[in-house]
Amino acid sequence: MHKVLIANRGEIAVRIIRACKELGIQTVAVFSTADSEQLHVKMADEAICIGKESSRESYMNIQRILAAATACGANAIHPGYGFLAENSQFAAIVRECHLIFIGPETDTLHLLGNKTHARLLARKCHIPILDGSANPIRTLEEGLAQARDIGYPIMLKAVNGGGGKGIAICLDEDSLKESFFRTLEEGSRNTGSAGVYIEKYIESARHIEIQILADKQGNIVHLGERDCSLQRKNQKVIEECPSPYMTETLRHQMGLAAIRLAKAAEYINAGTVEFLVDNNNKFFFIEMNPRIQVEHPVSEWATGIDLVKQQLLIAFDNQLPFRQGDIHVKGHTIECRVNAENVFADFQPSSGVIRHLVIPGGPGVRVDTQLYSGVTIPPFYDSLLAKIIVHAPTRKEAIRKMRVALEGLVIDGVTTNQELLYVMMHNPIFVKGTYDTNFLTRAIQEELNG
Amino acid sequence: MDNFLDKHRSRVVYFQEKYRKRGKNNHKAEIPDQLFSKCPFCQELIYTKTLIEQAFVCPECGKYYPMSARDRIDQLTDSDSFREIDRTLTSVNPLDFPGYNEKLVQAQEETGEREAFIGGWAKIDNIPLCVGVMDSHFLMGSMGSAIGEKIARLMELSIKRKSPLLIVSSSGGARMQEGILSLMQMAKTVALLTKHNESGLLFISLLTHPTTGGVSASFAMLGDIILAEKGALIGFAGKRVIQQTIKEDLPDGFQTAEFLMDHGMIDMVIDRKNARAVISQLLKFHEQRKNHVSN
Repeated sequence: MHKVLIANRGEIAVRIIRACKELGIQTVAVFSTADSEQLHVKMADEAICIGKESSRESYMNIQRILAAATACGANAIHPGYGFLAENSQFAAIVRECHLIFIGPETDTLHLLGNKTHARLLARKCHIPILDGSANPIRTLEEGLAQARDIGYPIMLKAVNGGGGKGIAICLDEDSLKESFFRTLEEGSRNTGSAGVYIEKYIESARHIEIQILADKQGNIVHLGERDCSLQRKNQKVIEECPSPYMTETLRHQMGLAAIRLAKAAEYINAGTVEFLVDNNNKFFFIEMNPRIQVEHPVSEWATGIDLVKQQLLIAFDNQLPFRQGDIHVKGHTIECRVNAENVFADFQPSSGVIRHLVIPGGPGVRVDTQLYSGVTIPPFYDSLLAKIIVHAPTRKEAIRKMRVALEGLVIDGVTTNQELLYVMMHNPIFVKGTYDTNFLTRAIQEELNG
Repeated sequence: MDNFLDKHRSRVVYFQEKYRKRGKNNHKAEIPDQLFSKCPFCQELIYTKTLIEQAFVCPECGKYYPMSARDRIDQLTDSDSFREIDRTLTSVNPLDFPGYNEKLVQAQEETGEREAFIGGWAKIDNIPLCVGVMDSHFLMGSMGSAIGEKIARLMELSIKRKSPLLIVSSSGGARMQEGILSLMQMAKTVALLTKHNESGLLFISLLTHPTTGGVSASFAMLGDIILAEKGALIGFAGKRVIQQTIKEDLPDGFQTAEFLMDHGMIDMVIDRKNARAVISQLLKFHEQRKNHVSN
């Protein structure tokens, strides 16, 4: 009998608790003082308060999470995404306490967390990478010299940055001079380590990622792609599978590349390999995310495989029950992220009490959310309220289904981006499927001005 | 506010217990001893492995933890190169000072060492040398007869082997329980050090927090090169004693490593994390010079 502590909150905690319950696994939620009324707390078999609202004192606090795990007699910890999910030290400590960490090995996390090492690994696996600096750069002079070698436009990425923070695009020397120190600082504020990477920037690219699953017995499969090109400030907003850009050959090639990389990293559990694809169908490795991702339901519906359940089963030493030949991407899946934010006030996060709530339904509609009527949305954490996922035989039908779902969604009490999502579902370029990573920012600007 | 989910939940639990079979959970997570160390300055819990990797510098507040002599040797010397001498030498209670025996036993039990000083033979980046380290966890690193003897013997070994000598000091001064005998150790260590000096050998003295009293008034301040750790308290008498004696106000921080550096008492203030690199560099310079002279 297993007992899993979920070191997270919000919709992903709810998602993990559901998967555990279906597998007959006991669940323990942890929560901050701001979250005592949240759905994950109400759903879990047990719930333990681990500190004040600031995530540093609760969801990011390793000691308190361990104390909670010991107190309730859990034997495994699921980190979800964000917070401590990619922290190799956390994984190491969890394992030192004789607990199962539901995720990759500590060394794998450490390796993939370092962009230089991850890029070297990709090169060793013969996966193309964008031209870039081999080592972190700390001075502007070095940066300018590197940028000249690589050729503009370039992208600055803070060491240990992530989640859209610590990234800047520079079209020329002047903009590099302007952004260099800000990016450097953004990277050091989060983790204390200074330095930025410089990478060639592709102007019209698509962000396409491959979902993989690997068990402890050495089986690795990929679950096709997710097109996450619709981003705002490097935060994904809409994802779909198959990518309107994808061909059978390209999917095969990218899938094989992702598996090669995962094998080389001795990867275990669910993970995602992110690529940029240019206009000539050439793909370049960006990074590998060693965790479950927000947009995982897209691949779940495309392939019919429950990723979170597989994560748990793999961690408890089970073998994958399918092989690559059994996995087929079927129909078309789209996900929209409904965030508590004010589109008209520079996407400022909003908070408040949910007075009324109507969740859309019907065939082919799935909603992953932590919301219920009367719950308060605290202002301290990320603004994701719900993920709406639709599935239909064709892309056109899926778009129509998403429009209807968004029409039916009622979240009364906080400001959300629901209308923006609805507008995007009607945008001719989106409908045609010819967007790139810059499209969404431009489209939002046009909507706001028009 | 009464949450409607709580009422719903009690029904769910009722049905679960009635219809669902549950196995027993006999697993127990164990948090190993000393997985975390509490920073004595900012009270944060720090993962002990990180702390050792960071040379016992708190990653949260940047302050230096007091280091045990063994940890210091691990940090400064090539792994497994240290060979200890005179491990069993220990103090007796020559003056029958009340409670001293008990204090010695307690310190020995707490630290696992016989005395507040360990010395021996080691290598730093493959350069052989004699190394001695004081341990402030053991009776505040105070210098009694046994320590004086251990230091003297280490100096003799250094002379015999014609090797450089490194002593890392952290001490409250002479050991008061041994009275005049402990003060004698100042003269003894200095005498040996003079011999060491006359043999033309290098002595690097690294002062760490705190280096005071009889130790600072003898060998510690006689290094050919005197290094001090950032922020370390270094001085002879305490601030109040000096104020009462000279009847004058003293400047802030007048006994810190940085102040002494500015006033020419020491040669270099170093970051603990760089200590090994700095010492290694000094040893290499010295080796080159030695070769140059002998050629």
